[in-house]
Amino acid sequence: MKEFKIVFTGPPGAGKTTAIAALSDLPPVRTEARNTDATLGPTHITVAMDFGQVDLGRGQWARLFGTPGQARFEFMWRIVAADAAGVVILIDNTRADPLGEFVAYLEAYRDLLPQMTLVAGIGRTDVSRHPTVDDYVEQLTARGLAFPVLEVDVRRRDDVQVMVDMLLTKAQSRS
Amino acid sequence: MKERLAPAPFSVASFPDSALADHALRIVQALLVDLDGAAAILVASADGFELAHGGRLRSDPARLAAMASSLAALGDTASHETGIGPPRCLVIESNDGRLVVRGMRLRGEPVIVLVLTGQGLLLDRVWNSLAAAETRLGDR
Repeated sequence: MKEFKIVFTGPPGAGKTTAIAALSDLPPVRTEARNTDATLGPTHITVAMDFGQVDLGRGQWARLFGTPGQARFEFMWRIVAADAAGVVILIDNTRADPLGEFVAYLEAYRDLLPQMTLVAGIGRTDVSRHPTVDDYVEQLTARGLAFPVLEVDVRRRDDVQVMVDMLLTKAQSRS
Repeated sequence: MKERLAPAPFSVASFPDSALADHALRIVQALLVDLDGAAAILVASADGFELAHGGRLRSDPARLAAMASSLAALGDTASHETGIGPPRCLVIESNDGRLVVRGMRLRGEPVIVLVLTGQGLLLDRVWNSLAAAETRLGDR
């Protein structure tokens, strides 16, 4: 049996908990608290991590971990991301500055990026078309980075599965 | 021998619910007195904001508040997962000190109280002080 660790990270409300719930074969483990920050949308936020797992077939499993979104939980980002086969950065395109949030996450993981296998999932592009996928790719190129950026609906299992499959294909080609 | 220290500083954080923050400060003050100042105390909201702290806290209170929230949530999840009921306390026993984390309700809101002590203070005493503070000032 082979197991992979996949991490979902990104700003508050980007859909990390939803993505894990959409893909996990088991009810996900959540660590949520009621949100007292009126500037944020969600009624509840993840304060430690989410956890789920999915059977990939052929004796392979993925363990799915989600990080908290708020910057005050930054200490958890690296704890959760340690030894991950791949990391999904999720962005909500309807937020005030989604591109800025994307860049902030690239900066937060900057020293780990060369060793990481990444995919970015941009959500709610049906509601807000801008920034475009090209704008996100431009930010990557400016930093000498190259990884897939996809439009996704994290409520859809198939969309989340595509991101995980991409990560695992890339991760296995690197190893 | 009883460890007695000089009066420790304390502060209340700027939190939207100022009445809750004031109540949290009363918890901090009560625990500092009860534990003879031999501890640092921090009260955080369940979602990781600092409400009040006191004593000789060498860490950044805002960062420690977020950590207290994560620790409490993990303890809660682990208790639920293993079927041992709602958690009362989490204890991190280290070489040079101890962290005790306890959830309680203040003014209807769940909060997390973190007590940082040296090894000189008995764990039972911290537990009893936390329970007494909750009975006196919490919603219980």
